[in-house]
Amino acid sequence: MSQVEKKAGLLRRTSSSKKPLKEKVVLMYDEIFAKEDPAKNNPRFWDELFLMKVNLEYLESKLESVNGEEVQRIQDNINSLFHHCVQALGEEHQIKVVNALQTLCALFRGVHQKNKSASGFDIINMLMGFDKAERRMKDLMERLDSLLCGDSSESLKSLCLKLLLCLVTVTDNISQNTILEYVMINSIFEAILQILSDPSSRGQHGYDAVVLLALLVNYRKYESVNPYIVKLSIVDDEPTLDGMGVVLHQALTEYNRQYKDKEEENQGGFFSTLTSMVGSMFIADVDEKLSVQTNEAILLALYEAVHLNRNFITVLAQSHPEIDIPVTPSTPTPTTPTTPLGTTPPSLDVMNNPELPLDPNLQTSNLLITFLKYASIVMQDTKDEHRLNSARLCLIILTCIAEDQYADAFLHDDNINFRVSLHRMPMRHRKKAAGKNIPSRPLVCAVLDLMVEFIVTHMMKDFPMDLYLRCVQIIHKLLCYQKKCRIRLHYTWRELWSALINLLKFLLSNETTLLAKHNIFHLALLVVNLFNMFITYGDTFLPTSNSYDELYYEIVRMHQVFDNLYCMVLRVSTNTGQWKEAASKVTHALVNIRAIINHFNPKIESYAAVNHISQLSEEQVLEVVRSNYDTLTLKLQDGLDQFERYSEQPKEAAFFKELVGDPMRSSLSLLIQPRYPSRFSFPRPSCHSLISPSVFLTIHSSAVPSVHPLSFHHRSIRPQPVSLLFLLRL
Amino acid sequence: MNPNTGSVRLDRRLRTITNRPVRLSGGGWSLLAAMMTDPQDDLSPARSEQNSPSLSVCSSPSQSLPSTPSSCCPPRPASPPLGVINEGGGELSLVIDPEVAQRACHEVLQKVKLRQVDASAGPAPGSQHNGPSPDRGVPAIKPPQIREEDDPEGPAPSSVKSARRHQRHNPSKQSWLLRLFESKLFDVSMAISYLHSSKEPGVQAYIGNRLFSFPHDDVDFYLPQLLNMYIHMDEDVGDAIKPYLVHRCRQSISFSLQCAWLLGAYSSDMHISTQRHSRGSKLRKLILSDELKPSGPRARRELTLTPFCLAAAPGGPAADHGLSPSKRTHQRSKSDATVSISLSSNLKRTASNPKVESSQDEPVRLAPQREFMKSLMGIGKRLATLPTKEQKTQRLISELSLLNHKLPARVWLPTAAFDHHVVRVPHTQAVVLNSKDKAPYLIYVEVLECENFETSSVPMRIPENRIRSTRSVENLPDCGMMAEQRAGSFSVVPNYDNDDEAWSVDDIGELQVELPEGHTNSCDNISQFSVDSITSLDSKEPVFIAAGDIRRRLSEQLAQAPTTFRRDPEDPSAVALKEPWEEKVRRIREGSPYGHFPTWRLLSVIVKCGDDLRQELLAFQVLQQLKSIWEQERVPLWIRPYKIVVLSADSGMIEPVVNAVSIHQVKKQSQLSLLDYFLQEHGTPTTENFLSAQRNFVRSCAGYSLICYLLQVKDRHNGNILLDADGHIIHIDFGFILSSSPRNLGFETSAFKLTAEFVEVMGGPDGDMFNYYRMLMLQGLIAARKHMDRVLQIVEIMQQGSQLPCFHGSSTMRGLKERFHMSLTEEQLQLLVDQLVDGSMRSLTTKLYDGFQYLTNGIM
Repeated sequence: MSQVEKKAGLLRRTSSSKKPLKEKVVLMYDEIFAKEDPAKNNPRFWDELFLMKVNLEYLESKLESVNGEEVQRIQDNINSLFHHCVQALGEEHQIKVVNALQTLCALFRGVHQKNKSASGFDIINMLMGFDKAERRMKDLMERLDSLLCGDSSESLKSLCLKLLLCLVTVTDNISQNTILEYVMINSIFEAILQILSDPSSRGQHGYDAVVLLALLVNYRKYESVNPYIVKLSIVDDEPTLDGMGVVLHQALTEYNRQYKDKEEENQGGFFSTLTSMVGSMFIADVDEKLSVQTNEAILLALYEAVHLNRNFITVLAQSHPEIDIPVTPSTPTPTTPTTPLGTTPPSLDVMNNPELPLDPNLQTSNLLITFLKYASIVMQDTKDEHRLNSARLCLIILTCIAEDQYADAFLHDDNINFRVSLHRMPMRHRKKAAGKNIPSRPLVCAVLDLMVEFIVTHMMKDFPMDLYLRCVQIIHKLLCYQKKCRIRLHYTWRELWSALINLLKFLLSNETTLLAKHNIFHLALLVVNLFNMFITYGDTFLPTSNSYDELYYEIVRMHQVFDNLYCMVLRVSTNTGQWKEAASKVTHALVNIRAIINHFNPKIESYAAVNHISQLSEEQVLEVVRSNYDTLTLKLQDGLDQFERYSEQPKEAAFFKELVGDPMRSSLSLLIQPRYPSRFSFPRPSCHSLISPSVFLTIHSSAVPSVHPLSFHHRSIRPQPVSLLFLLRL
Repeated sequence: MNPNTGSVRLDRRLRTITNRPVRLSGGGWSLLAAMMTDPQDDLSPARSEQNSPSLSVCSSPSQSLPSTPSSCCPPRPASPPLGVINEGGGELSLVIDPEVAQRACHEVLQKVKLRQVDASAGPAPGSQHNGPSPDRGVPAIKPPQIREEDDPEGPAPSSVKSARRHQRHNPSKQSWLLRLFESKLFDVSMAISYLHSSKEPGVQAYIGNRLFSFPHDDVDFYLPQLLNMYIHMDEDVGDAIKPYLVHRCRQSISFSLQCAWLLGAYSSDMHISTQRHSRGSKLRKLILSDELKPSGPRARRELTLTPFCLAAAPGGPAADHGLSPSKRTHQRSKSDATVSISLSSNLKRTASNPKVESSQDEPVRLAPQREFMKSLMGIGKRLATLPTKEQKTQRLISELSLLNHKLPARVWLPTAAFDHHVVRVPHTQAVVLNSKDKAPYLIYVEVLECENFETSSVPMRIPENRIRSTRSVENLPDCGMMAEQRAGSFSVVPNYDNDDEAWSVDDIGELQVELPEGHTNSCDNISQFSVDSITSLDSKEPVFIAAGDIRRRLSEQLAQAPTTFRRDPEDPSAVALKEPWEEKVRRIREGSPYGHFPTWRLLSVIVKCGDDLRQELLAFQVLQQLKSIWEQERVPLWIRPYKIVVLSADSGMIEPVVNAVSIHQVKKQSQLSLLDYFLQEHGTPTTENFLSAQRNFVRSCAGYSLICYLLQVKDRHNGNILLDADGHIIHIDFGFILSSSPRNLGFETSAFKLTAEFVEVMGGPDGDMFNYYRMLMLQGLIAARKHMDRVLQIVEIMQQGSQLPCFHGSSTMRGLKERFHMSLTEEQLQLLVDQLVDGSMRSLTTKLYDGFQYLTNGIM
C-alpha cells in the first residue's frame, strides 16, 4: 500500500476533517524528535511519557516522516526511547507497561516502514544502537518472558504476544528480519509452551502463541540452526502438545463453521438453490464459493507441529467434543472475555473439570477430522494462489501423517470410527452429498474419500499437477501400510479405481496441453503402480475375495483407457525426446495390466459368443474372470511398496520460503498484526473484518468483549473508528 | 529383611494389642464373667492347650497378622523403636492373638471378681492403669485414652448394660460354646453365623476378637455381612466388630475403601435420622477422613527414630507434593511413597491453624483411588445422557483418553486379585454395553503387577507413541528420559540435516519388526518375494507369479481368519467380547508403551453407573458359596461367579467374564441355532472338541439351573446368558432374585430356563448327556442341602435393614429355606428334580418371555 493511500486512510478514519487538538503526549513525542535530550529539561520526562496514553499513529507517522539526515540527528533520542520502553516493562504500574509495549510496537513498525529498503543493521542501529543492541534485546526478551510467564493480567500477556507478532511480521520476509536474530538467542519458546499448556491462558492467547511459534520456526529455517525448530521437535509434554492441538482444532473448527454458515446462507431459499444449481457451474466464481479467507498461519503451525514433533501425532487423534455451535449469521457472537475462543476450551484436565460440555448434539471430533473437513473445503477451489497454497500445505500435512506409523495405526483402528462429512463440490453430474447418512468408519476411509474427491474434481485445464502427485502418493503410502500390516480395510475400492482410471483418461485426452507444462508420465506411472499394488499384493489387504475380481472387472471394462495409454507411452518412448525415459517406465509398469486385458478380453468375448449374449452382465463377466485366473501369469514388479519419504529439504524449501515470504505475509499479517483502526485501508471488505482493534480494547476495558480474530467474519457492524480511537486513548 | 518394614510390622502388632484388651474391658465382659462362674479347672486346660499350639500358630501361614515367619520374632535390638514403646510389652507373646485374648480374659476376669465384690457399676479406668507392666507375656491393658481414638462413644455405658444382661444367662451352655469356638472346626462362616445369631454380648465380643485370627481373605468374603451387621444390628455387635475393622483399615487402603463403599451402600436404605445410621456413617466418615492411617500418631515417632523411613521417602519434594492442595488427585506426583504422604499429612495435622485441617476433606492416602473411581463413574453418568450407541462409544473413547493423562497412578482395580498399579487405559478398546437407559461400559485396563500397591513405586509415565522408539528392553531406561536428555542424544545422530533429524526413525521400515509372529510367518509368499526382489535389484531375471495364486491366497487368508462378529454400531460390545481374550491381550500389549514390562497384565472391568449392585453382590456371594460347597463335595457342577465391587447404592464395578458373549449376540450374529453354532465353533459331534464343549455346557447348565431355582433368578432372556469359548453358559444379571421379579407380568413361572435349544445341545431329551444333566442337578442339590446353612446365613444377614427388592415381603427366607427341601429323602429329591426339569422344558412361559423380550427389546 502506498503512502498516499495510508494518509488518505488516516484522514478518513479520524473522520473529522479538523485536526485533533495536540495532546500532551504528542508534544512529548515532538520533544523526542527534536534534537535535544528530552530529559535534559525535564528529568521526569520518561516517567511521565509512559503515564500518557500512547498516540500510536502520530508516533508512527512521525517515525516514517523523518528523513535520512534527521535520523542521524535523533538516533540518540530514539535509542533512549527504546531503552526506556524496555525499562518501563519492568514497572509495577500496569499502565506504564501497557504504554511501553504499545510504544515499542509503534517503534518497530514505524522504523521498518521508514526503512523498507534499509538493511536490518541500520534498523537495529536506529532503534537500539549497535553497541547496546544485544543487551537491550536481551532485556526486552527477558521482560516479555517474565510478563508472559508471570501472573500479570491476561490483557497484558495478550499485548506482549501482539508485540512479538508485530516484531515477527514487520518485514515482508521473515528471514530478512535481522532483529529476530536476538529472539533466536533469547528464546521465548518456553513462555509460548507455558501459555499452551495452561487451559485458561491457552484459551486467551493460544491462537497468537501458536502462530507466533509457527513463524519463529520459519525464521531462516534453511540457512541456520533455528533453536525453535530444535526445541519444538523434542517437546514431549503432553498437556502442552494437547494444548497446541486444541488451539489448532478450534481455529480450524471455527473456519469450518464459518464456511458452513456461508454455504447455508447462500443456499437460503428455493430460488437461490435453483439458481445456484444452474448457475454455479458456469459462474462458479470466487465470491460465490469461498469468501472465507483461508488461514495459512494456522495450517503452517499444524504442519510444523506434525512435521517436526513426533509426539504431536498422538494429539491428532485426541478427541475433543466438536465445537460446532450453530451461529445464526445475523447475530454476531462476541463472546465473553473469559472464553475468547468461542467456547470454553475442552479441558484436558479431567480432575479439574470433570464435565466435558454435555450436549447430545455435540459430536465428538478430533483434530484430524477437523483438519480433513478443512482440507475438503480448501481443496474445492484451488484457483487463487492462497487456496492453492493452502491445498498444497494440506496435502503435505497429510503426506506426513500417512508416513507416520502411529498415525496410520489410529487411522486404521477399527475401534475408532467416525462419521466424517467432507465438503463436496457441487457438480453437474452429481447431487450435493446428503451428508447425513455417512457410515461410521475408520478414519482412513475419510482420507481416501478426500483423495478420491480431489482426483475427481480437479481435472481441469489449469492442471494442479503438484497436488495430484501428492494425492496419489498419499494413497500409495496408505496402501503400503495396509499391505505391510495386513489390514483389510472395508472400503469401496471401486470408487478409487474408477477415479484413477478417469484421471488417466483425462491425461490422455489433454496430452498436448498438459505436456507443455508437466511431466504427465510421472503421474501416470504412479497411478499405474497403484493398480499394480492392487494386482500383485491385493491378497494382503483387500477385504473380500470378490474385491479382487472386481479389480479385474474394472480393468477389463476400462481396457480402452489402458490401451490408449499404452499406445501413447509407446509412441513417446520410441521417439527421441525429453519424455522418452519417463514414458518407457510407464510402458514397463503397464505389463501386468496389459496381460490381464489380453488374457480376459478374448475369454469374455468367446463366452459372449458361445452363450449368444451381446451384452454381458457384471456377474457374468466376474464369472469369466473367476474361472480364468489360473491361466494368467503376472510379472512381479520391483519396489511397488517402496516410496520416497517426505523431506522438506530441498524439495519443498522453495514452497515454504514463498509461503512465509511475501504472499503469505499479507494474509498472515492481516490476521495477526495488532494494528489500530486508522491504519487500515484494505480494498476488500472481508479484510477489514479480519483485523480487529478489539485486541487493544481489552487492554483498557475488560468490559469490552475480546473476540478471537477468527470470529470476526460475522461482525455485521463494524465498530466506529472514532469510538475506537477513543478507547485506545483511555 | 528390611528393618523398616520390620518396625512397621511391629507397630501393627502393637496396635493389634492395644485394640484388643480394650474390647475386652468393655463388651467382652460378660463372657469372662461367665467363665468366672465355672470351676477354675474348666478354664485351665483350655489355657494350657492354647499355650502350646499358640507358639506354632505364630509361625503358621494362616496367621492373620501380616507377619512372615521370620518377622515373627524379630531380635529385639534390631528394631530401634522398641525401646521406646516397650510399654506395650514383649512382642513375642503379643502376636499370638488367641492367647492374648485368653490372657486378657483372665486379667479382666480377676478385675471383675474384685469389682463384683465392690458391687460397683462400671470398671474404673484408673484401676486398669496399674495393669500394664513391662514384663513379657503380660498383655498390656492399654490406657483408655487410646481407646478414645477408636471409639469415642466410650465404653462405660455399654459395659454396664452387658454386665447386667449377663446375669440372666445360663453359664454352662457358654462353656460348650467356648469349646466350639476354640476348636479347629470353628471357621469364619461359623463365626459370622454366631455373631449374627447370638444375643450374648460376651460371645459377640469373643468372636470379634477371634476375627483377628482368621485369614484376611476368608473374612473379606464376609465383609458385606460384617458391615451390614455393624450398621443394622445392635451396639454390642458393632462394638465387637469395630476393632477388627479399624485394625484392618489401618493396615490396608483397599480394605478401607471397601469398607467405606459398602458402609455407604448399606446405610443408604435407612432413615437419615436413625441413630444406627449415624454409626455406620460415622465409621465411614472416620475411614474417609483418613484418621485410620497406617501408624497413627506413632508414625511420627517412627520417622524421627528410624532413618529408613526418611531414606525411603525422598523427604522434601515428596512432602511438597503431598501438601500442595489440589483436587486433581490420583496424579502421579501425589501417589509416591505412602510414608511420605503420612509424613506430610502429619505435618498438616500439627499445623496450628485449624482451618487448614478442616479444609482437607480429601485425605491423601485414599484420594487417588477415590478420584479414579469418581471419574469412571462420572464418565458413566455423562454417557447416559447421549442418545445413540455410536455417540456413547465415541464419547467414551475420548473421555478415557483424557483419563489416560493421569495415569499411571497409585490406583487399582478393586476386582483384581493381585496388587497392581493401573498404568493405562487402552481407550480405543473400550465399549459401551447393551443397556436401554443406563450406560454401563466395559474398559480394559493395563496394569503392572507389584508387590504391594501401597508401598511399591508407581511406574513412570511413558507417552503413547513412545513404543515406536523403544522396541527392545535395552532401550527401557530411555523411556522416561527428560527432554533435555533427549536433546543431548539428538546431537549424537550424525549426518542429518534438521529435516531428517526430526524424522530420523523410519517408521514404515520398522513395521516388519513389529509385526506379530503369526503374521510374519504367514507372509511366506509374495510379500517375501518383494523383499527379496528389492535386495536383488541387479538381477534382471523376472519373477513370475500366477494370478490364480494371489486370488487363492486371498480367499484362503480370509477363510483362515477366526470367526469374528460383524461390527454393529448398535451393539459395539459384541465384536469386542467375541475376540479371544488371549488375542486381545497380545494385541493390546503390542500397542502399549508399557507392554514390554514383564509385570504387565491386562484386566477388564465393567463400570456400572446408576445400577444398584448390592443384589449382584449378594448373588455373587451365594454363587461363590455354592461353588465352594460343590467343590468340597466333589460335584462337577460348573458355575462362574464374577466379582462385584459395590461403590455406592447406585454404582459399582463388575468383573467381566472373558471369552464369553451373550446367547443373544451369538444368535443375532451367527443366525444359527445354538447347536449349529456349537458345531461351527467346536466341530462335528464326534470330535473331542465338541464333546468337551458339550460336557462343559451340561455342567454349567446344571449348575445354573440349580442356582436359578434356589435363588429364583428371573429375567432370564438370552441377553443375560453368556456362552463362553469352552461351551459353558454363564448367567449374568441377578437383578431379579428371591422375592423380586420383573414387572410381575407373570412370565417365567418355570423353575429355571431350559429351552429346547439347550436340550438340543445336550443331545436331546433322551440322550446320555441329558441324563447326566439331571444327575448333576440331583447331586448338586443334595450337596447344597448339606451345607444349606452356609448359604442361608449369607442371605439372612443381608436381609437385615435392607430395602432391596429381593427381600420384598416376609417370606423370602422361608421360601429360600424351603427350596432346599430338607425334609425330602433322596428319592423324593430325584423326583423333584425330574419334575423341575420336565416342567421347565415344557414351560410355555419361557418361550413367551423370550418372545416378549424379542418384541420389546429386540433380544433374540
